Amino acid sequence: MGSIRSRILIVEDDRKMSAALVSGLEAAGYEVVAASSAEEGFFLVHTLRPDLLLLDLTLPQRNGLDILRQIRQEGTDVRVLILTSHNTVEDRVEGLRIGADDYLGKPFSFPELTARIDALLRRFLSPSPSSFMDIGDLSIDTRNRTASRNGEQLELTAREFDLLLYLAENHGRTVSREMLAKDVWREHSRFTPIDNVIDVQMARLRKKLDDPFEVKLLQTVRGLGFSLREPQA
Amino acid sequence: MSVLAALLLIYAAMVFAFQYAVLTRQLFHDEVQDVITAEGLLFFDSQGRLQLREDYFSRPQSHLLVDRMMEVRNLNGDVLYRSATLRGMPLGGPNRTGEGDVDFDAHIVRLQDGSHVFMISHIHSIQGRTMLIRLGYSLVPMRERMFQFFLLLLIAIPLALVIAAVAGQMIAKRALRPLHQMATRAEGITASNLNQRLIIMNPKDELGQMGRVFNHVLDRLEQAFHQLQRFTADAAHELRTPLAALRTIGEVALAKGQDSAEYKEALGNILEETGRLNETIESLLLLARAEATGVEGDKTLFVVSELVNEVLSLLEILIEERRISVVQEHESLGRAYIRANRGLLRIAIVNILHNALKFSPNGSVLRISYARPENVAPHLRVTFQDQGPGIAPGEHQQVFERFFTSPAHDTASKSGSGLGLSVAKLVIDRIGGEIRFDQKTQVGAKCIMTLPISK
Repeated sequence: MGSIRSRILIVEDDRKMSAALVSGLEAAGYEVVAASSAEEGFFLVHTLRPDLLLLDLTLPQRNGLDILRQIRQEGTDVRVLILTSHNTVEDRVEGLRIGADDYLGKPFSFPELTARIDALLRRFLSPSPSSFMDIGDLSIDTRNRTASRNGEQLELTAREFDLLLYLAENHGRTVSREMLAKDVWREHSRFTPIDNVIDVQMARLRKKLDDPFEVKLLQTVRGLGFSLREPQA
Repeated sequence: MSVLAALLLIYAAMVFAFQYAVLTRQLFHDEVQDVITAEGLLFFDSQGRLQLREDYFSRPQSHLLVDRMMEVRNLNGDVLYRSATLRGMPLGGPNRTGEGDVDFDAHIVRLQDGSHVFMISHIHSIQGRTMLIRLGYSLVPMRERMFQFFLLLLIAIPLALVIAAVAGQMIAKRALRPLHQMATRAEGITASNLNQRLIIMNPKDELGQMGRVFNHVLDRLEQAFHQLQRFTADAAHELRTPLAALRTIGEVALAKGQDSAEYKEALGNILEETGRLNETIESLLLLARAEATGVEGDKTLFVVSELVNEVLSLLEILIEERRISVVQEHESLGRAYIRANRGLLRIAIVNILHNALKFSPNGSVLRISYARPENVAPHLRVTFQDQGPGIAPGEHQQVFERFFTSPAHDTASKSGSGLGLSVAKLVIDRIGGEIRFDQKTQVGAKCIMTLPISK
């Protein structure tokens, strides 16, 4: 993100939701402004020139899609992430067709929201996918799909490697089970009950990744998900 | 109405023609009889003049006989006798060759006074002299009668049409009265009195059949409505349970004070409960979506066993972890194509397999077998047999009910939203298949899924 903090505008009419988002995103290091109606949001888009717009679709008086349509017609350069509880495929397609950059159905996990925001804002910056990643004494070779700790090769299955890579890409951030289901298992139906599949897979990865070593990298965050990071002293 | 009028006209014309023919024929017969009688009554008097014995009349005296016209000629055409009724006019023209030779031949001739006469001729010999007898009846009375008949028909047809219209309306009204009553009653049936039914007068006629069908629809509607009501109540209950947990956890944590470790614990707990809540809501939405999906929908053609294997590989880690061996029997039979919504069927199979795995003891065998039952239209039967605790007697149907979790087994620790199998059943029913648990199975549970396949 560099030295300039990205500015996020939240257009959300639910006060509690809005307050929680503001506080969470500020804690994540963003500059956050909130609007509670479509008109106010539209005004702020023009005056504040935010980098990213978090848009709720069901707003009083004016539909969120209307603002989006107008913003796109004017050619305003802002990333738009839609937040809504209408999360059928048709709604999603409609939102993306009008010009949203991403779509997240309510209820969502906060780590997933920050991951999506980061991903959207990163598009501005030059992507530098190095084929090597290091987290503490863990190093991952994305080209050869191998991982080692302390120079010691880890024997991982394909799925375990995918999981580790995803955690590493989100280094320092917590990833939720929903994110894992969607991005690692490619399960797009939110109903498919694979939470225990994820838990078992995670337990296995932990056995290979952490059990033989002193420093534990894979953390379980109660109620949120998992995170790969060096433990703070 | 115009059709009826045309029909009546055709009918009248036919009756008229028939009547005319009958009368003419009757006239002919009468005349033949009369000729034969007259022949016996003709004689030559002492002066050699031909006379008709007038002292003989057939009884009852017919005006036809009185009014009859008769002329007797010799073969040269000389008139030997002419009845007074002819008033001196000749009956018909000169003799025609062969006239009355063989039989009685009939002609319509016009007298000098313009009236028409139906005339028959006959050759007869009287006292050794051969002569031609011509006998005719005036057509005027018959034509008058036919004209009267025609007038009668002319008046009767519009009258008949009017009567038919009125009567038709009355009959229709009477016939439709039960329909009106049914409609009135049907209009009064709303959600609050769905138990009311139409009264059926005669179950055998068309109206009765319609009424029965309608009542049947009401039966199903009422059933569906009750199901919906129960479901709403169940859903509210299911949502309230995690909500109560959320509230209690939060309240207790706040009451206990500012121990950040305990706060963390409580918040984690709360988040886990929201997960449970979310799962229930997602599956309710899925049920609604599956129910709304018509028989059509986004269908694709795919191989059943490939889908089953895909689900198995998704759950592979669980299978491995629990050291469960999956045995597939007659897998080649499972290579059958089905046309259905793949995503929904996948969810159904995930639920079935997930359920089977959940109750399978560690190190047990899960048997998946494919069969093509004969004597049924192309179907594929997929059987999932586990070695778990099985299904308690009497619960074989109930397990598919929404929010059902068995009180019989210690499943509390394992139960999910209680919607998995309902979702599976709904999806499979929608595809036109069937899912049930085999009641005869003693060890474990045997889930039998029958799917219609494409040729």
